[in-house]
Amino acid sequence: MIRHFHIPLWLVVLGILALTLSACTAVAPAPAAQAPAAATEAPAAEAPTVALIYGVRGDGFYITMEAGARAKAQELGVNFFADGPAQFQPTLQVPILDAVIAQRPDAICIAATDRQALIEPMRRAHDAGIHMISVDTFIGDTGGDYTAPELNWMLSYIGSDNVQGGEIGCSAIIEAMGGSGKFYIQTTQPGVSTVEQRVEGCMKAIEATNGAVQLIGMDYNDDNAAKAAEQTAAVLSAHPDLGGIFGTNLFSARGAAQAVANAGLTGVVKVANFDAPEDAIVALRENVVDIVIAQHPYEMGEKCIEFAVAAVNGNFDAIPKRYPTGYTIITRENVDTEEAQRSIYKSE
Amino acid sequence: MRLQTVELRSSRFWLDTLSKIWAWLFLLGMVAFFSVAGDGFLTPFNIQAILANMAILMIIAIGQTYVIISGGIDLSVGWVMGMAAVISATVMNRLPESSPLWLVVLSGLFAGLLAAWIAGLVNGILIARLNVPPFIATLGMFGIARGIGFLLSGGMPVPIYVRGLGFLGNGFLLYHHPTAGWSFLSPPPGLAQAELRNLTGYFPFVVIVMLVLLVIAHIILSRTKFGLHTYAIGGNKEAAMRAGIPVARRLVAIYLLSATFAAIAGIVYNVRFTNGAANAGEAMLLDTVAAVVIGGASLFGGAGTVIGTLIGALIISVLANGLVILRVNPFWQFIAVGIVIIIAVLIDQAREKFAQE
Repeated sequence: MIRHFHIPLWLVVLGILALTLSACTAVAPAPAAQAPAAATEAPAAEAPTVALIYGVRGDGFYITMEAGARAKAQELGVNFFADGPAQFQPTLQVPILDAVIAQRPDAICIAATDRQALIEPMRRAHDAGIHMISVDTFIGDTGGDYTAPELNWMLSYIGSDNVQGGEIGCSAIIEAMGGSGKFYIQTTQPGVSTVEQRVEGCMKAIEATNGAVQLIGMDYNDDNAAKAAEQTAAVLSAHPDLGGIFGTNLFSARGAAQAVANAGLTGVVKVANFDAPEDAIVALRENVVDIVIAQHPYEMGEKCIEFAVAAVNGNFDAIPKRYPTGYTIITRENVDTEEAQRSIYKSE
Repeated sequence: MRLQTVELRSSRFWLDTLSKIWAWLFLLGMVAFFSVAGDGFLTPFNIQAILANMAILMIIAIGQTYVIISGGIDLSVGWVMGMAAVISATVMNRLPESSPLWLVVLSGLFAGLLAAWIAGLVNGILIARLNVPPFIATLGMFGIARGIGFLLSGGMPVPIYVRGLGFLGNGFLLYHHPTAGWSFLSPPPGLAQAELRNLTGYFPFVVIVMLVLLVIAHIILSRTKFGLHTYAIGGNKEAAMRAGIPVARRLVAIYLLSATFAAIAGIVYNVRFTNGAANAGEAMLLDTVAAVVIGGASLFGGAGTVIGTLIGALIISVLANGLVILRVNPFWQFIAVGIVIIIAVLIDQAREKFAQE
């Protein structure tokens, strides 16, 4: 009899467990989902809808871009929402793009995670009648030139000129190095257009010294600060007289700066950090890095909404195929000025 | 006494039924929920997008199903896929520009398969002949394939400059427009940008490929001696040997099969993204194991089906899509899939416990 009783109890426990767990997964997200939905319902029924798909979630750069877009959307009465993958990976970003296409927004601003892999999926969005705008990164082999026939269906590319950014950033380090010495580059992954161009710009700055500055190497850290530190430490032991390091993004610079600090060379080896989230500014104030190169993601977000609205209104003359946003070089000297403070990426 | 036996059988019957259909019910419940709550979820475009985006995961997971049923695991699938994708992309680019599309794809496929077969063969021999645990052998291959993929591509994704390839990966068999009507292989000509909004494609090529592979793999597993042997080896390796099953040869074949599906997934990546990237399958490994386990396979071997894996992959992909449509933070997806895996294992263990009593 005991056994007889035991069995249905097991069943009941399991059933309840399964039900509550499945209910949790299904219901828990709902409140979070309703908040933005309610917010976007506010404008009039005819208001256009614009989606922003950024490169990776939880990155200050994209959070600032989203803030800029959201503010501009509110100002212009546009329905706006943003989403992006948990990792900077095309296999994760394309399903998100497809889910957004399924909702038929009027325009999509997207920071493509791969300049080749996203071409077909983005064309699919265009074929669904959606205006497509690149923000931050571009697609194709034309260096962001959307007047090229194979890419002229793209409305615009809004982003920093990364070649220019790399060049002015590296010129600033070279100046801090006193115009000569050994130079090293820490970068993320091959195949990401923005980062490749920063390196290209940096090379230009190095070449401009006519051999006074000597590039001793470049390493890929997979966007991993620990790996960057490991590689930089190895370079520092081979070249104790290293003068400057260019980190092509936050993790690269952070790892490089870590290795420099471990070697007791802080201040001796100049480190430049491309991108300006709040912790890069903290590192700058603590002498860990010496130069921070800030892009203007807030402006990118604003412009993408402006261009999307112009496209919906048929006002294509107002939309340039390429809109370069500028840079701010932040050092310990100017970090407290209003201009520098405005360029720092906000984390929320 | 008699009454008790009947009731015992009936509760076992219900648990057994529950363990077989809970994943279906979960999937249906999820689809129903997203259809009601999510704007644009239940549209032909979106449903097909879910299936097309799932194709790569599903194809690798088919191979993983065989491996897990045999009592092993293949950790190398993601990087073998990436290596095959890089090699086939390189081969496709080397062919003369005038080559017909089918020849380009077949050459790429063959090159990718060759490389993957070497990886699968090494895995199989290590596991079947040298008694290396599958976890360790395939972890080694994980690293080797990763390194080779990055070395061959110089770390860069290899763009493929073959005309029409992207269409193969992203195109549909049929297109329909409310006013212009149906058309075959390409959208009806002369549609303005605004009218494209109402165009719907049907039967994406990659989904067709996935379904064909699924049916073949299902038949082999459920209707052939090879399939039977796979279950027997996973159920009890000693008994399988004593029954005269060539266990070592079958195991090598199973790991070759897994590598084959990984390579095919690599080619699907090639045509879908028009490039070959060494890290193309990086995010896939855990999802393939999750799909197989949610689908009712036991990590101890001896149980599982291809159709079960399909349900598992569908649950993962529908979640990924639905949560975006509901604007839920994508990090929730990891938590949701994790919970579903735990439910799957709990139900499986409860059933085992009953089977023993």
